[in-house]
Amino acid sequence: MIKIAYTLVYYLTNTVDMIQINNLNFGYNKHSPLFKNMSMQLSAGHIYGLLGKNGAGKSSLLKNLAGLVYAQSGTLNVLGFDPKKRQPALLEQICFIPEEFYLPAVKIDSYIKANAPFYKNFDHDYFNDLIKEFDIPVGQKLINMSYGQKKKVIIAFGLATQAKLVIMDEPTNGLDIPSKAQFRKIMASALTEDRCIIISTHQVRDLDNLIDTVIMLDENDIALKASVEEITEKLTFKKVKEIDASIIYAEPSLSGFNAVMPNFHQEDSKLDMELLFNAILAEKNKFKPYFN
Amino acid sequence: MLLKRQWLDFGKIYFGVLIVLVGIIIAIYSYFIPTPKSGHFFDYDGNLDMRFRYGLFMLLGFFFISIIASGYYNNLGQKSRAILELMTPASTFEKFLAGIFYTAIVSVFSYLLVFYIVDAGFVKYLNSNLPAFSSTLNKKTSIKDVDGIFYEVINDANYLRYSRYFFVFPFLFTSIFLLGSVYFNRFHYIKTAMAVMIFTGIAGYIIYKIGYLLTQDMVSISIVSKEDSVLQSTFIVTLIITIIMWLITFIRLKEKEV
Repeated sequence: MIKIAYTLVYYLTNTVDMIQINNLNFGYNKHSPLFKNMSMQLSAGHIYGLLGKNGAGKSSLLKNLAGLVYAQSGTLNVLGFDPKKRQPALLEQICFIPEEFYLPAVKIDSYIKANAPFYKNFDHDYFNDLIKEFDIPVGQKLINMSYGQKKKVIIAFGLATQAKLVIMDEPTNGLDIPSKAQFRKIMASALTEDRCIIISTHQVRDLDNLIDTVIMLDENDIALKASVEEITEKLTFKKVKEIDASIIYAEPSLSGFNAVMPNFHQEDSKLDMELLFNAILAEKNKFKPYFN
Repeated sequence: MLLKRQWLDFGKIYFGVLIVLVGIIIAIYSYFIPTPKSGHFFDYDGNLDMRFRYGLFMLLGFFFISIIASGYYNNLGQKSRAILELMTPASTFEKFLAGIFYTAIVSVFSYLLVFYIVDAGFVKYLNSNLPAFSSTLNKKTSIKDVDGIFYEVINDANYLRYSRYFFVFPFLFTSIFLLGSVYFNRFHYIKTAMAVMIFTGIAGYIIYKIGYLLTQDMVSISIVSKEDSVLQSTFIVTLIITIIMWLITFIRLKEKEV
């Protein structure tokens, strides 16, 4: 009862920060830490895009948030709970879609009957709508479905749980082109004021126009955490013929260079996430003055 | 709710092993039960030779319950399945209790039931064919009705006196193999069996050495008169080890990472 009351008070008073990470130290062995004193707050009502090189720790960060791995030190607070305790009250508020997943050799109906009762807010109608939208053959056993179809089932199930925290690790892997568009549409409509969505991906173009905040991991810490609005306010992404001193980072392209430069004149430009990603990795220190 | 969900995965393995088990019991019974054509099938009192049942019961029972227990948490050794398992909104204690329910209760009692049914079937068959035994080989000795294996144990005071002290053994085996299934990520059965052999070997050697050092200048006496206390100690030690194994399993389950 005390815990429930605490959680209720937490929701009423802390609607902003859904996740608080303080001085997180984590690694798979003590000699090579993956995160050193990482701190960050994530809020409800946002879709965060988690980017980073291979081995930067994207999946590990997501696993830390879900309580699937334990930090060496530091504190993690997810919806008022400590994830490492794996309390059912928290678990039913987390929808975790891993990159590699398993589905049993049963039909969708059986899967739902066995798993949906664990989530008291599970929306059966919404699940059926998503299954229809994804064009999933209902009568087929899950194990006989293609990887993409299985992924759609697991995404549909996860969203239908009405979990407040949606964590997705490479969700667009295995989805065909129309499905990726469907995925973006569904995820955009799934965002509510009390929901926080974190998507880790290498396929940055799949998340175009979907994420509103970029989190970039590099060298054991967060290299960048900024909203798309903030990024495009401070930086501009342009195609230029020649490189000049104002350009922070540029990559050669067919018609010149794709460049990132300070947005001195408040120009409107579309965030090129791939370019930004490469720019941050290459010139991290040059971007530090723009994003604290 | 959790039991129902766990059954989705566990049920298939369980039924698979159970079907194989029934097949093995039937095959071995069919091969070893006395037939009128075979010789030396009864003793001087006219009891048909059904002794093979005891060894079969214990050996198959050990393999069945240990295989079931060893496979219960094997999904925790696979990343994708472990995520699904650990993210299921139920407490670690509930998940642990579900494991105990399936491995210690369902597997042990279903084994007893299956063995009882198959044994009863063969016993009924033999009893309905007793005249054939009498007429073919020995007309002087009357062949007695065959009793079911459990009926023999329950109705024989001597059997019951000894066997009641060993009732915890099946739970000890399941607790050890359940711990192995959560401790090791792959090859749970082999690794658990190896670990048990090494551990019991070392522990046995140490106990023998300590016992020898402590008693080398003493006179040995028979402990037959204290047989009951030895059996009671066996019962208590087995029970304590079983509980410790379950406790460690729970802790390992709580600490499990993906």
